This record gives sequence, C-alpha cells and structure tokens, in this order.
Amino acid sequence: MATDIQISIIGSAGDGTIAAGDILRNAFAGMGYKVISFDVYPPEIRGFGKCIARMRITTEQAYSLKHKSDVMVSLDDSHAIPHAGELRDCGAMIYEQGSIVRLPEGGHMSAHVGPGQLPYPLPIRELSEKSTGANRSRNIVVLGFIAGLFNLPAEGFRKAIGKKFRSKAAAAEASEAAFKAGLDYAAKTFKLDDVVFGPPVSSVVAGSTVEMINGNAAIVRGALDAGIDTFFGYPITPATSIMERLASEMPKRGGRLLQTEDEISAISAVVGAGFTGARAATSTSGPGLSLMAEMLGMGVIGEVPSVVFVSQRGGPSTGMPTKTEQSDLHMAVYGGHGDAPRIVIAPTNVDGCYRCGGKAFEMAEAYQTPVIVLIDLYLSNRYETVVFPARPPFEADMNRKPGKQAAAAPYKRYALTADHVSPRSVPGEKGGMHVVTGLEHNELGRPNDSAELHTAMSRKRHEKLKAALRHPDFTHFKRFGDEGPVDVGLVAWGSTFGECLEAMLKARGEGIRCAAMKVVMLSPFPTHGVSAFLADCKEVLVPELNYEGQFANLLQANVARQVTRLARVPGEPMKVEEILEEIRRLAGRGKSAQKAA
Amino acid sequence: MATAKNARHHVVIGSGVSGSQAADTLREREPDARVTILTLSSLLFYNRYDLPKVFRGHRDWREFLAYPAEYYKDHRIEVRRCSRVAGVDGPRRTITLEHKEEIRFDTLLVASGGRGYLPEELAEFRPLMHPFASYTEAVTAASLVPDRGHVIMLGGDMIGLDLARTLIDTRHRVTLVAGAQTFWPHEVSDEERPGLIAALEKMGVEVIESHDAGGIATIEQGAKGLSARRVLFKDGTELHGDVVMPFFGLSPSVEFMLGSGTDIERGLLVNPALRTTCEGIYAAGDVCQIWSDAEKRYRFFYGWKNVRAMGDLAARNITGGDEPWVPAQDEKLHIGSDGKIQSPFWEYH
Amino acid sequence: MGDIKPVYLEEKLKEIEESGRLDYRSKTLPTWCPGCGYFSIVEAVAASLCELNVPNENAVVVSGIGCSSRFPFFVNTYGMHTLHGRALPVATGVKTANDALTVVVVGGDGDGFAIGGGHVPHAARRNVDITYLLFDNGIYGLTKGQTSPTSAIGFRTPTSPYENPDRPLNPLLMVLSYGASWVGQAYAGRPDHLHKMITQAMAHRGFSYLHILSPCVTFDKTHRTYSNLGMQVRDLPADHEPTDRAAAMREAMDDALPALGLYFREERPTLGDALDGLVEKAGGELPGKPAAKPARKAARR
Ligand SMILES: Cc1cc2nc3c(=O)[nH]c(=O)nc-3n(C[C@H](O)[C@H](O)[C@H](O)COP(=O)(O)OP(=O)(O)OC[C@H]3O[C@@H](n4cnc5c(N)ncnc54)[C@H](O)[C@@H]3O)c2cc1C
Ligand SMILES: Cc1ncc(C[n+]2csc(CCOP(=O)(O)OP(=O)(O)O)c2C)c(N)n1
Ligand code: SF4
Ligand SMILES: [Mg+2]
Repeated sequence: MATDIQISIIGSAGDGTIAAGDILRNAFAGMGYKVISFDVYPPEIRGFGKCIARMRITTEQAYSLKHKSDVMVSLDDSHAIPHAGELRDCGAMIYEQGSIVRLPEGGHMSAHVGPGQLPYPLPIRELSEKSTGANRSRNIVVLGFIAGLFNLPAEGFRKAIGKKFRSKAAAAEASEAAFKAGLDYAAKTFKLDDVVFGPPVSSVVAGSTVEMINGNAAIVRGALDAGIDTFFGYPITPATSIMERLASEMPKRGGRLLQTEDEISAISAVVGAGFTGARAATSTSGPGLSLMAEMLGMGVIGEVPSVVFVSQRGGPSTGMPTKTEQSDLHMAVYGGHGDAPRIVIAPTNVDGCYRCGGKAFEMAEAYQTPVIVLIDLYLSNRYETVVFPARPPFEADMNRKPGKQAAAAPYKRYALTADHVSPRSVPGEKGGMHVVTGLEHNELGRPNDSAELHTAMSRKRHEKLKAALRHPDFTHFKRFGDEGPVDVGLVAWGSTFGECLEAMLKARGEGIRCAAMKVVMLSPFPTHGVSAFLADCKEVLVPELNYEGQFANLLQANVARQVTRLARVPGEPMKVEEILEEIRRLAGRGKSAQKAA
Repeated sequence: MATAKNARHHVVIGSGVSGSQAADTLREREPDARVTILTLSSLLFYNRYDLPKVFRGHRDWREFLAYPAEYYKDHRIEVRRCSRVAGVDGPRRTITLEHKEEIRFDTLLVASGGRGYLPEELAEFRPLMHPFASYTEAVTAASLVPDRGHVIMLGGDMIGLDLARTLIDTRHRVTLVAGAQTFWPHEVSDEERPGLIAALEKMGVEVIESHDAGGIATIEQGAKGLSARRVLFKDGTELHGDVVMPFFGLSPSVEFMLGSGTDIERGLLVNPALRTTCEGIYAAGDVCQIWSDAEKRYRFFYGWKNVRAMGDLAARNITGGDEPWVPAQDEKLHIGSDGKIQSPFWEYH
Repeated sequence: MGDIKPVYLEEKLKEIEESGRLDYRSKTLPTWCPGCGYFSIVEAVAASLCELNVPNENAVVVSGIGCSSRFPFFVNTYGMHTLHGRALPVATGVKTANDALTVVVVGGDGDGFAIGGGHVPHAARRNVDITYLLFDNGIYGLTKGQTSPTSAIGFRTPTSPYENPDRPLNPLLMVLSYGASWVGQAYAGRPDHLHKMITQAMAHRGFSYLHILSPCVTFDKTHRTYSNLGMQVRDLPADHEPTDRAAAMREAMDDALPALGLYFREERPTLGDALDGLVEKAGGELPGKPAAKPARKAARR
C-alpha cells in the first residue's frame, strides 16, 4: 500500500513545535519513508510567535506539500485554530483536552474540529507533568501518541529522540518518559481516523546513502563534496545555516571559513580566493546580493571563478525576512552595471540543491566566472529524503591548470580562443604572472578601452557561457508529463516547480493533456530546449512567487511566446490547487465545466 | 458561520436521537438561529439500536452515522464533539465546559440521555466488564469475542436482550445472569416473568437466575490459556466467558445540571411541554421525567421513537410552540404467536 | 634641503640594473604625473621585494581604484586591480586561499578610509598577514582633485570650493586602535627611509600598515606639497619604544608635525594561524602547503 500522509504540528515558539517536527521527520526517514517537509517560523526570535512543522511522508518521493494535512497537532490552540480547516475530512485532529485558564467561547480547538474531521483530545499537559514533573515535554508526549495511534515502530521514534538529545542526558530521560506516556495513552485511545501507514519501500542502490536534509544542508554537502576550500560570509536569513554548517564542517576537512564584516567583504574575499585558485564561495540573501553587485561585475570582467549561494526571502529592502519569495531573479541574472553575464542555476528540490551546490564550483572554474545558485527560503528550509551517490558526482579540477600559453611570454591571461575560455594561472605559478583588473583590458590584462577590444572581450565573456548550456552531467532543464503536443504546458523554476509538478500530475489525472518543464539554468538561458517545449504547448502557464512574473519576463526575453502568468506573493509556497485551477481554466475546464462533466 | 444579528443561540446538550432530532427541528423552524450541539461523543449522531451490528462484522463507524458530515455543514448545525458540559448556570444562561470554555445560550435543551446503571456491589469489578452504550464500547467488546465466543450478560435489560438476539443469530454463546432489571424498562410482573425467561431460553440464551446462585461473589481475570473472564457465584459455581457485559438499565445523566437552577429528582423534571423549572431550559429524551397529569407523577418514557418525538416537541416549544407531550409508542412487552418476545423498542423503522 | 649631489642618469641606471630590482618592475610605464610621489613608492616596493628575495610569482599586489591603485600594473608580480575600496577584503581572500604568498595591498586615502574604511578595522584586528601601503595625498587624485577624508580643514577643491569644513581623519591613530600588529609612517620624499620601512613592513608576520605621505603635484598646490611636507615631517624620538601601543598612539596624535618611523610592532598569531588552529580543533588535517613557503621564510630570517 502506498503511503501519502501529511502531518502538521502547530504551536508557539516555546512549545517545542519545530523540535517535535524535527524528531518526527527524522524518525520517518529512519524508517525508510520519503519525507518532504517545510516549517513555518515566526519572525520573532523568542516568545509566542506561531510555528508550524509540516511534513509529508510518502513511499515515493513527493514534490510538494499537500494543501490539506491528514494529521494535525495543536500545541497551542490560539495558533492552530485558524489552520483547523487545513485538515482533511476523516483526518486526525490531536489537541489538548483541558485548559488551565478560562476560555472565551471558541477559544478551544474542540469548537473548530469540522464535522468531517476526527477529534483526538488528550491531556497532553497532564501526561507531561505526570511523567516528567514538568510541562516542557508536551511535544514529546504528542510524538508518543502519534507513534501509538498510527501503530508506528516506537524504536524509530526513540532513535530520533535520542539523536536530538544526544548531549543532554536529563532531557533525553524526560523525553523517554514523556514519549512512553503518550504511547500508553494512545493504547487506550479508540482509533477512528483512516490514516494508515503502509510499509516503507527502500529504493537505495548499494553504496549510496539516504538522508533527510534541507536545501541549505544539501548545498553545504554539495559544496563539501566538490571540495570547497574557502568560504566567506555574513549572516542573513534564510541563508545563515549554510554558513553555520560549513563553519563546523570545513575545518574538519582542512577548509577555511571567515565571517567577514559585510557582504561586500565576503564577495571580495571570494574573488580574491578564486583568483588564487581556491574553490571559494559565499552565501547570502537579497540584501546581501544587492551589496555584492559591484564585485560580481568585477568577477565577470576579471573572469574569476566564484560561487554565490543566494536564498531569497520576501523583498524589497528588509522586506519579509522569514517569508519565501522568488523575487531576486532579475537581480541574480541582470543585477549590477554593465554587460555582466554570469551563470545562474536554480535547483527545484533538495536533491537539486546538492547537485547545484557542487556543480557550481565546476562551472565557475570551467567558464571562469561567478556562478549564482539561486534558491529561496522555502527550499532552504524544506526537508526531503535525498539519495546520495557513493561517489560525489563532481569533478575535482576543471581547467585550473595554466594553458599552453604559459610557455609564451608575456602570459596572455585573456587570450582570445576558439572556445572563448582563456588559459588561467594562479599566484605561485611561474610564468603566468598577470594582473586581474576591473578595467577593460587586452589579452594580457593591460587596461585598454579601444572599441575593438571592448567588443571582442564582451563577446568572449558572453560567448564562453554558451558552453555551460552543455555542461556535462547536469540537468539544465527537464520535461515531465505527457509527450508530444499538450493542451497546457507549465514552465517553472526553483522551489515552485514541486507544486507545478504536483498540479500537472493531478491535471493529467483529470484527463487534461499536460506537461511541465523545470528550468534549472536561468543564465545563460537554454532557449533551444525551452522553445522546443513551448512549441508543443497550446497554452503556457508560468507560476512563480513574485509580483510581476520575473521568470516569465526572462522567458519572453528569450522566446517570443504568449504565456499566462501566475505570479503570487503570499510569502509562502504556492498552492497546488491554485495552479491546478489555472490549468483547468486554460484547458477549457473551469470549475463549471468540471461539474458538468 | 453566517448568523443574522440578534439571532438566538439554541444550545443542545447531547447528540443522541432526541438532541439530534431537536437540532434538526430548531434549524427548520428558525432558519436564522445559531444551533449548537455539545456532546461527549467523538462521533456524529448514530442510532444506538444499530450497535449490535458490530457482531455481524460491521466495524466501520461511517456505516453507523445517521447523517453524513455535509448534513451539519448544510444545515449550519455546529456539533462540538468530545466536549463535556461541567456546569450550567440557568439565570446567567451560560454553560461551562470541562475545559473551562464558557458558552452563552438563549435557550438550552438538555438531552444528555442516560448512562449504564451498575449495582453498587458490582462497582469494584467495573474494569473487568465491557459496557455496550456507545460505538467505541461496542467495537471494543466485539473485538474481544472470538467466533462462536461466549458472552456473559449480567442483568440483561432490553438493550442487552436485543444484543443477545444478534449474538445467538451469529452463533455466539450467551449466558444471562438474570435479575431485577432483566426486562428493563418494561415493568414485568412475577406472573409474566417465568414465561418470558422460558422464551429467552427457547431463543437459545442460557439463563442463570442470580438469586438462585446467591448472587455474584467476584469477577476475575481468567487464567492464562483459559477464558478471559471468570464469574464466581456465592454458591461456589463458576462461569467462564470471553467478556462480561453489564446491562442494568440506564440512569439519567444529570450531574452537570446540579446547581443550574432546575429541579431534579432522578431525571430533570419537566412539565408536559418539556420545560424545566428554569426559564429557557428544556429537557428531552432519557434524561427527563415528564409530569403526567393522568398519573399525577413525574415519569420516564423510554424507547427511541418516544425519545425522538420528545426532541422534536421540545424544539417546537422552544421556537414558539406550546404543545403537551403525548407518548409516541406503547411500552407493552409480550410473547408473540411464534413464541418469541416482542417489544415495541425493537421495532426500528 | 642640505647639499645637493649631482646624479648621473647612466650611473643610476647601471646601479639599478645590477641590483636586480628591475626584475620586479613591469614593462608598463607608470601613468602617473611627472613628480608624483608614487614613483618613489613603486621603486621602493620593487627594491624591498628584491631585498627580501620574494619569488615574483609568489607575490600578489592587490589594489583598489585610484591613481595609487594603478600600482599593480607597474610591478612584475601577480596582481589584482579591484574595486574602489575593496582591496583589503580581496587580499584577505588571496591570503586565506594561500598562506605562502606575499600579499601587498596598495591604495589611496579615499580608497582606504572613505569608501573602504569599513574593512580596515577587520583586516587589522584579524591580523591578516599582509602589508598595507596607504598612499596618503589628502586628495582624490584619479577623479581630479576632490576632497578626501584626510584633507585638511579649509582645503579648497572642486567639491569644496569655499573650503573643506570637515576634520581630517587620523589613520595612524585609527589603525593603532584597531589592533594592527605593525604600524609605521614614511614619506615619499625620503625614498631611502621609505624603502627601509617597506622592507620591515613586508618582513613583519601579521598585518603591517605603512602610512605614506605623498604629494599630488597636479591637484594640490597649497597643502601637501614637497616643500610643505619637507618642512613638517620629523623623525620619531630616538627613545620611542615601538612595543608600547599607548606611546605610539600619543605620537600619532601629534599630527600637525607627522613623525616618520616605526610606531608599533608586536608578534601575535595571524589569521592564518587562527584558521589552522580551528582545523586542529575540529580534528581536521591541514592541507599541504605549496612549495613557495620555505623560500619566503628564508627571505625573512
Ligand atoms: C446500546 C443501546 C442500544 C439501544 N437499543 C435500543 C433499541 O433497540 N430500541 C430502543 O427503543 N431504544 C434503544 N436504546 C435506548 C435509546 O437509544 C435511548 O432511549 C436513546 O438513545 C436516548 O436518547 P437520548 O437522546 O435521550 O440520549 P442518548 O442517546 O443517551 O444521548 C445522550 C447524549 O448526551 C451526551 N452527553 C451526556 N452527558 C453529557 C455532558 N455532560 N456533556 C455533554 N454531552 C453529554 C452524550 O454524549 C450523548 O450524545 C438503546 C440504547 C443503547 C445504549
Ligand atoms: C564605487 C565608486 N565610486 C566612485 C569611484 C570614483 N573614484 C575612483 S578613484 C576615486 C578616489 C581616488 O582617491 P584616492 O583613493 O585617495 O586615490 P588617489 O587617486 O588619490 O591615489 C574615486 C572617487 C569609483 N571608482 N567607484
Ligand atoms: S593626479 Fe596627483 S596623485 Fe594622481 S598621479 Fe597625478 S600627481 Fe599623482
Ligand atoms: Mg588620494
């Protein structure tokens, strides 16, 4: 039996909501299920802001979260009540049965469990206090209850709990007691819901490993597997955890990481290290990318390999730091002054974060240019189970050796070559001395602003990137769904593609001829592949999380084609239903048509 | 939920047959009003007389629901399940739920029914027995009885006897430890009783008159590898079975109404229009004792047809009517020409 | 000015050629105005690299934007001519990527203390093992003579046509307080002293800051001219103790009469040492250092 169950835990920041979610998804991943998970955090650091831990547990890896959950847990009714409608019919609503304070009418979850949903009140607080002497373990009581109610192996939970509290013996002990209290309570609870976990299916190839990690962690792993040498960064949500994780991992491998005084310094140091031959990277979000614009241009004209991981949040300015958005696409692709072509790749899932996280270094070296890996808060914080190959799929050294030019003096660092990529030497190498400059220059790297040279060098900087469109072992774009002509074709990028894929599959289930293409390489734009797909589509739908449709703009700048934009800025992932509704409309199957059919 | 301004809030305690019927009538007669049902149950309304079906293999609660979830949405009836009323303040027109939530009402219908009565001397054995008053209890009990298993019934009211009919029909073994409540709520004379017992035995029920055995001494967990339960009688005899189920009639659920300002005897006392002694509060169903002008006393009326009619009447009187209660079914128990026991309570449709 | 000795060009060229310094000069001729103080700095740097025996390919000269920042094109080493104000962080990246390199940062007063001022404290406190040569002409030379953060009050420029109302910064004092581990001052008009100071600065292990007073002969005819500076500069008192940061700061505060010489020097772990320490703490293995390191160590003694 295929499993497809979504669990939401809703509470306030102090309830241990996210911790419970973390344990839960680790437990499921450990049992062999596929997990996709995305939590919602409050903008406040501490206090009583709303937290939601959400995860979808499946037999085959899912592409997005579902609109409705099968199980909902309230650790704080005031936060959970507005979300009660997001539990499906016959789903389980788990909540605190009592209250220590008087409540106004409607102040308790029992007032909001819909007639189709199934109530599971339990004395969470009391169980926690009785088992541990404190109410802090309410979240763990709930985990025990979930394990018992859904007949899940308690061992898997205990392992995940043990991992969480590895270094805190007292907390581990309390958690064990609280877990058992919840488990025992579940044994006495009559099960009414139809939430059933089928056996997990393991699809692991020998040698590879499965891990449940989020986008930021996957980027880190990609960077480490690609042999990152140096990292320079400045903290900013939602990219911070990339830097934090690298800070603990890189020294273990002899790598060096520095927290700089600002993002300008970070990208400057990356360019300096890149020039010196290191695999160097930084990570940031929109505000930091704005500050980096000038130095990125320097990287372009100086042809210095450098990697920038950008996780977008709501903008402009400080915007919505804890909300997701895809509104930095224009800046990533076009940002900065002058003709400054660069490589921009945008993974669409956590596995892609790993691949792009590593491939970025290959590309930066192969094409001697800055590479931006563009994700967003949703992907940064989204957990998925990822299968890691036994051997990292990344080349250790791409074109770092001095070319044949090395023998000839003076060294032509910017030699105009057939493939537009010049030989490159790094400090310490004899005979390769040159000056990298932000000024327009000749083949030697000496300042020169003649019309001919500026034209030739501009052409070189643009043309050399074309080869990136054929970069080996990399998915630049990919089509899913129906082959051949379709009524509706979706084109999407980044985190939103998961929802698009899900919507497309549902639409096909409704008999609509439909396909979806993900575009991972945004710059240079894979015009050929995309236009071939568009030629197959009667209607084209472009869903994305920004106001105007920045990707649609990019698409239309490259392919002359009418498209329907579905651009939204809710600060959270797009709803599959909303995309599906648009597909139906474009396929001539509006709601009314649907009912009549 | 769009509710007109100044619309009244009608609250019903209980989602049994009387409460559910009342909510339906209230909605129909006062389309603007807000109607809320408070109930202990975790399920929407189902007919309790269907419960013996669990022994025929029907275990999915969806099959038991009287109305689908959409009915409540369409009729704008809020049902608050797993919500225990802890107290009612009549003059202030507020209900306090056990979780300390307060609910204001304009009118209140108490339809909280009754719960299984258990004689005091058996109270200590409660954990070893399996009641049969709700869907969850019924499924729990049924899951413990194997194919052709043995059910020991203590007391044996008309609810129990109805279950016994199903059990015999499904080839289970039933032993009835009969007593004063065996034909509850029917009042059975000493003359009628032997004939009725004989009819039960003819039906296939093994009957032990508990007073013959000197009454029950203990109920114990059966030894390993043996039956799950042992019932010991004072005369030294023993009875082994898979479950022990008590059936001693129902006693009205009124504890939360103490201090509400309404008069209570065993049930809530109501006049023939089903109004309690407190303004705006009505009662219907198994919980209430209705004044009978003919008998000059407050009395209970049982049976699902009666109870449903009570819910309907109370709702009509809440919404402007003023009709007196007229029983909807007679309460005579007799043996039919086929030699089988016949009760009006066993006629479902 | 003392007695003037005649200098014969031919002799001078021969002497220079034999010294090997020319190997450190590129074929590109400086684009500076004749008489600009920067000429003597490039001479001195070449001489110091030569003296310290740094293999050309192991030296990286990093600059920002300005007249001064054109510098990397005029030396025969690896070089980066970066953005206005960003030389220090770029150099930090170079040094972090390869500890074995000799990294010299050059730039103007505007580059270092206006647009790039935010980077100086951090390079200093981290003790990045680089040498920062700040060419202070009290003016924006490249953009043709505007006011800089070290311009004197009352200075008139195209952007302060009536007068400059702002107090100048005291970079020496700032850098001392930022925790630089080597701080000195020199004057372009005293090439021999300048050369000595640059050699010391480059030999120092850690962040060395050399403030070089240099006239912009084209755009400043009134303030920081050779004749004015020649009158003003003095030597640090003979008894100045360069391990005493407070004494160094007292000297730096007397900016009416700038004192030349070594203000402060201390030995402490560099950024590279600290990062190696982290690797050790994390249980990691230090990557093999490129072969260049021993040559440089030998040069240092
Ligand atoms: C197993 C069984 C089988 C039966 N079979 C038959 C039969 O075959 N024929 C027949 O005629 N009769 C039968 N009856 C009896 C008949 O069903 C009852 O007369 C009828 O159920 C009474 O309905 P009611 O609405 O008054 O109360 P109930 O159906 O008992 O409902 C009471 C409601 O009140 C709620 N409640 C109680 N206390 C509180 C509180 N404090 N707070 C909130 N809610 C509360 C309960 O949750 C419940 O929803 C049977 C009863 C049972 C239990
Ligand atoms: C971001 C930016 N702003 C402005 C400039 C223009 N600019 C170039 S050099 C310079 C000032 C140079 O002064 P200084 O750093 O003192 O160097 P000097 O030319 O005096 O040696 C300015 C303002 C620039 N290149 N980049
Ligand atoms: S403008 Fe001034 S600083 Fe620039 S080169 Fe000329 S003299 Fe030197
Ligand atoms: Mg200057």
